[in-house]
Amino acid sequence: MQSLSKVFETKEGRIFNRVAKSITAVDGVSFTVSEGEILGLLGPNGAGKTTMIKMLCTLIQPTAGDGFVNGFSVVKKPEKVRENLGVMLTGERTLYWKLTGKENLEYFAALYHMDRKESAKRIEYLLDLVGLKDRADTFVENYSTGMRIRLSFVKALLHNAPVLLLDEPTLGLDPQSSRLIREIILELKKKGHAILLTTHYMEEADQLSDSVAIIDRGKIIAMAAPSALKQSVKSSDIVEIEARNIQPEIVERLKTFTDVLDAVALVNDSAAHSGVIKIHADKGKEVLPSILQALVRRDIGITKVSFVEPTLEDVFIELTGRGLRD
Amino acid sequence: MKELRHYTRYPGNLAFLFATPLMFTFMLSSMGSFVGGPNASQFFFQRTGTTNFFVYQILGSAIWIMTWVVIEDLGSALRNEQIKGTLEQNFLAPINRFLLLVGVALAHIVISALIFLGVIFGTVLVLEPSSLTRLLIAMLTLILGLIPMFGIASVFSGLVIRFKEPYAFTQMVNMIFAIVAGTYYPVSVLPSWVQVVSRSIPQTYVIEDMRLIILFNKSLVDLYGHFIVLGAMAVAYPLLGYYFFKRFERRASVTGDLSKF
Repeated sequence: MQSLSKVFETKEGRIFNRVAKSITAVDGVSFTVSEGEILGLLGPNGAGKTTMIKMLCTLIQPTAGDGFVNGFSVVKKPEKVRENLGVMLTGERTLYWKLTGKENLEYFAALYHMDRKESAKRIEYLLDLVGLKDRADTFVENYSTGMRIRLSFVKALLHNAPVLLLDEPTLGLDPQSSRLIREIILELKKKGHAILLTTHYMEEADQLSDSVAIIDRGKIIAMAAPSALKQSVKSSDIVEIEARNIQPEIVERLKTFTDVLDAVALVNDSAAHSGVIKIHADKGKEVLPSILQALVRRDIGITKVSFVEPTLEDVFIELTGRGLRD
Repeated sequence: MKELRHYTRYPGNLAFLFATPLMFTFMLSSMGSFVGGPNASQFFFQRTGTTNFFVYQILGSAIWIMTWVVIEDLGSALRNEQIKGTLEQNFLAPINRFLLLVGVALAHIVISALIFLGVIFGTVLVLEPSSLTRLLIAMLTLILGLIPMFGIASVFSGLVIRFKEPYAFTQMVNMIFAIVAGTYYPVSVLPSWVQVVSRSIPQTYVIEDMRLIILFNKSLVDLYGHFIVLGAMAVAYPLLGYYFFKRFERRASVTGDLSKF
């Protein structure tokens, strides 16, 4: 991608009082993914990951800049680009529910001008690869969510394109299926495919990617190997406090403490307001007692305190002051 | 193949399409008898030149249903793909997107032709057995008339991607076509300004010519003027359809509308 940008023009307001509004979804993004490499795009919901993928696969016209897939411009040669791409878009709604799994793949194989005999063999191989061989002749409407996502995934692999765009390939999958998909992605990398992967699971980006591009509000704010990104926050201590009754005001208060570089609350149970408070601090052990005192005074129930190794989420927190799930 | 599979997996819809021309014709026949009383047949002959009410009406009915299938199904085909979430998947393939629509159109034309064949042949064989040969000749009018209908449907296909209300558009258009194309009466009973609109619709010529061939024994040579007009429509309307489709497709790729529903 070369300085790719996308601005959506919309109109908001009542029927005779609509006001034009511009939304910049992607802002001057550039990166390269080579053969046998995986680039992970990591960012929260609404960061611009899917818009970027859709521009690269020619579903959306860029406002500025260009993208190249195997040397073909997405703006000037969209059909050539589509020949060289295998794309998995998010969700289970990308299939025909009144067709069987096998019929879906046969249909899409025909759209990619695949020879019938060749596509039959390929379809059998791919269905077996993701454990759907026994359910090949079942209507997709009778598949579970996990099965539909696995079918969507292999649909992207049908014509063995050199470049793969995978938009949240494990979203909605159970841990076992997620592991299977990730293993297949690593195999594809070894076979020389160039893979662009979007995810908001930092563990997935960490495990799979040669490089990770962290995206926030349409811009790439950092890009490097996962180890290098994590190294960039290693100079600070990261304290994880598992707690109940977390209040947003206390997190803002913690940020004012001396030696606290940043603090963010990652609430995973909105009813009990329980989750994790993550604090980046210069001298974590020295500032910890005053942090704990402040939390206790506010009736926040502390269940666990630990010093942890930095993750990609910590990189994101350091760069933006927010969590990936915010 | 995909479209045909979908149709066969919703058999109720197929049965409805077969039954509708017959149901409308029966309804009109009953209305006509009620309104016209004992002289209904005579009045009908005075206005149309034939006493074969049923064949006259079933030809109009069946053509109307065929057009309905082509315009509604094709007009909303892409919209249905949008709602299912499969439109983007189709547009990811390295094929001309208009040709994708052509493929869908062909499937629906085959389906609607089967409806026509089933209903018309059945009716004509029973009520006008001597006109079977004429019916086969009249099929040429139908085949030529389907090409501009595809063009009209392509315009709607583009419009519905933009405005996302396929059924409102296509149903309105189908009802307007039913009124102005002389589905159940000769076009000559309509006001002259409406007849101008009638003459811009391919369906009008198809219905009129099929009646003239089957019921009044006209030949293709007698109707060469209509064939010239249908031929011109067969060129112009698909080109218009292509233009509108590409225009709305381009707009959808700028606004990101392909995935919205």
